[in-house]
Amino acid sequence: MNWTDVADLVIKGNNREVEHVLKNYPYIPAIAEDLRKKKLQVLEDLPRYIQETMKNVEKLGGHAYLARDADEARKIIGKIVSTKKTVVFSKSNVAYEIGLREFLQETGNDAWETDLGEYLVQLQNGWPAHIVAPAIDLTREDAATLVSRIDKNITKDSKIEDIVAAVRKFLMDKYIKADVGITGANAVAADSGSIALVENEGNIRIDSVLPQTHISVTGIDKIVPTLPDALNEIYVQSAYAGLFPPTYINITSGPSSTGDIELKRVSPATGPKDFHLVLIDNGRLNASRDEKIKEALLCIKCGRCYLACPVYRAIGKEWISTKSPYGGPTGVMWNYITNNDPWPASFCMHSGGCSEVCPMKIDIPTVIREIKSRGNRTLS
Amino acid sequence: MDEKAVMKELPAVRKLVYGNLMETYLPFPVDMKASSRWAVEADVPRNTDTIIFTSHMYQMGSMFKNYEKYIPLFTKLGGSKMIASVGSRLIKTDKSEAERSTRILKNIYSMLLKSGIKCGYLYEDEPYSGSLLLELGFVDEFMEYGRKLLSLFKSRGVKNIYTVDPHTTNSLTNLKKMIGFDIKSTPYLNAISGTNGSGKFVLHDSCLYSRFLGMYDDVRLVAKNAGIELLEDPDVTGKSTSFCCGGPIGPVNAEISSKVASLRVKQLNTVSDTILVVCPLCYENLSEFGNVKDIAEVMA
Repeated sequence: MNWTDVADLVIKGNNREVEHVLKNYPYIPAIAEDLRKKKLQVLEDLPRYIQETMKNVEKLGGHAYLARDADEARKIIGKIVSTKKTVVFSKSNVAYEIGLREFLQETGNDAWETDLGEYLVQLQNGWPAHIVAPAIDLTREDAATLVSRIDKNITKDSKIEDIVAAVRKFLMDKYIKADVGITGANAVAADSGSIALVENEGNIRIDSVLPQTHISVTGIDKIVPTLPDALNEIYVQSAYAGLFPPTYINITSGPSSTGDIELKRVSPATGPKDFHLVLIDNGRLNASRDEKIKEALLCIKCGRCYLACPVYRAIGKEWISTKSPYGGPTGVMWNYITNNDPWPASFCMHSGGCSEVCPMKIDIPTVIREIKSRGNRTLS
Repeated sequence: MDEKAVMKELPAVRKLVYGNLMETYLPFPVDMKASSRWAVEADVPRNTDTIIFTSHMYQMGSMFKNYEKYIPLFTKLGGSKMIASVGSRLIKTDKSEAERSTRILKNIYSMLLKSGIKCGYLYEDEPYSGSLLLELGFVDEFMEYGRKLLSLFKSRGVKNIYTVDPHTTNSLTNLKKMIGFDIKSTPYLNAISGTNGSGKFVLHDSCLYSRFLGMYDDVRLVAKNAGIELLEDPDVTGKSTSFCCGGPIGPVNAEISSKVASLRVKQLNTVSDTILVVCPLCYENLSEFGNVKDIAEVMA
């Protein structure tokens, strides 16, 4: 199967799944509408919400940091992780954005992606093809070839179940040894300092609980006013990704704790001793003050716009995702915000499907046209 | 993607298109006699305050595509006006295409008349809307040209415009927001009534009409009222599932443009072998890969 055939299958599947979800859980669009309002509210005063979030993380016994750019973020996390550690990653686009895994490997750590798709991308030494399904461009044969590098029992003819089992076996060994678990965050609640994560595989739950240090690295755009808003972001993201209800929802509020003796909350208990939240700016704060771009920060990374885009259907990750983890229409906006790179916008053919399917109702074509225009202004 | 090529080509395209527009109201040299033949044949009046604005879109449809092929050459040579004029000698609309566009425009005019709408035409003074500038992201240049366009229409006493294609309609809609373009404009599809048509088709929506101008249902209603049968498949013709013909990316990357067109036809052909379009550029892109008709060819 070539890329366009794969894309066609995935797109049809996603459309049907989302339609099914919205029919069976009719409250989702109203939640999405409310979430848009709440996220806009945060963008109106992002510095205050950052401060509130960091203060509440510290209150719970966690550590909070604000990194201005990728370099600063790598330094902060490098200092926490140190060297010769085993590090397990859950799928985090922000970690990709700042080149974190490679950085930790270069500084002498054994770092592994634990999301199956992301693990295949790591074995491939490539870039994710989709924000929710990173290995969407790989066939069973491709996956088998990659996994045969770590398990000699896997051949080109191996069944999907056997490939998954081989990866599971490999990762179990890493989980047991892991000193540090690094996750992203689908949402961060300013009022509690809690992070919310959604997943289906169970790897995030292990990454965030078994290692004694948990680092969550995410963008300041993920901050929402309250914990219920954070849960709403999880519901909306998973519904529009076509995977609802999600298998696991994880809320982490500081390091592990117990109140079992005299109802006094003490840390650590059984889980991580340390919790670190590293919030990344990397262009987001500027974008929040840019009236023509700021809508892009509402993106909850459901990846639906990719599937509605003719350019993505035609060329897949070759469009943007060879230099940024963000692809498709949202990737045009996010690559501009985080890399100050307007040129992928030139390939937008303003088909308009992106904004039709966006749960946050982001006027993506208008934002992209603005980016196109800014790029063109730099041409002599 | 080869962004470096784009960064080299775009300045040449801007120089060529914007330069020509500001001087001649046309993106590249156009045979004005051929472009207004339809109006001569239909005996369309001049000097009226209500006009049909073709923006040369049906007349130049194939030329747009042909010029795209020469963009790398223009880039090498700097996109000068001289090169454009050489291009105009190389790039001509062939006879059958010219006859087709004449037929379509005469029919649109006749449908407007039948609907009680009397309008004239600017003939040799008819400008181009500037949509290419807008769609390529030359927004500043588009607004500047838009002011010139507004001035031209006002100097001709134009108070009411009927458009015939989505790109022009979208340009005027954007100019309203951007520069306060205050002349009323209406797409002809929203103005006609009492038409008759026939045939069974799968409709390839214009992205601009369906997703930017709110006409997804309007176009279907026009076809249905005329007696045209449209075959639908939610995965192919839904408002959020249908996609572009590839046309707008042509000047940036002809290969992707062609790939998108071919994918789109393959998808449409799962519903029907005969494809209906409402845009001259969709026709140009899709007809290379399938059997395509414009809506103004199947109703009157």
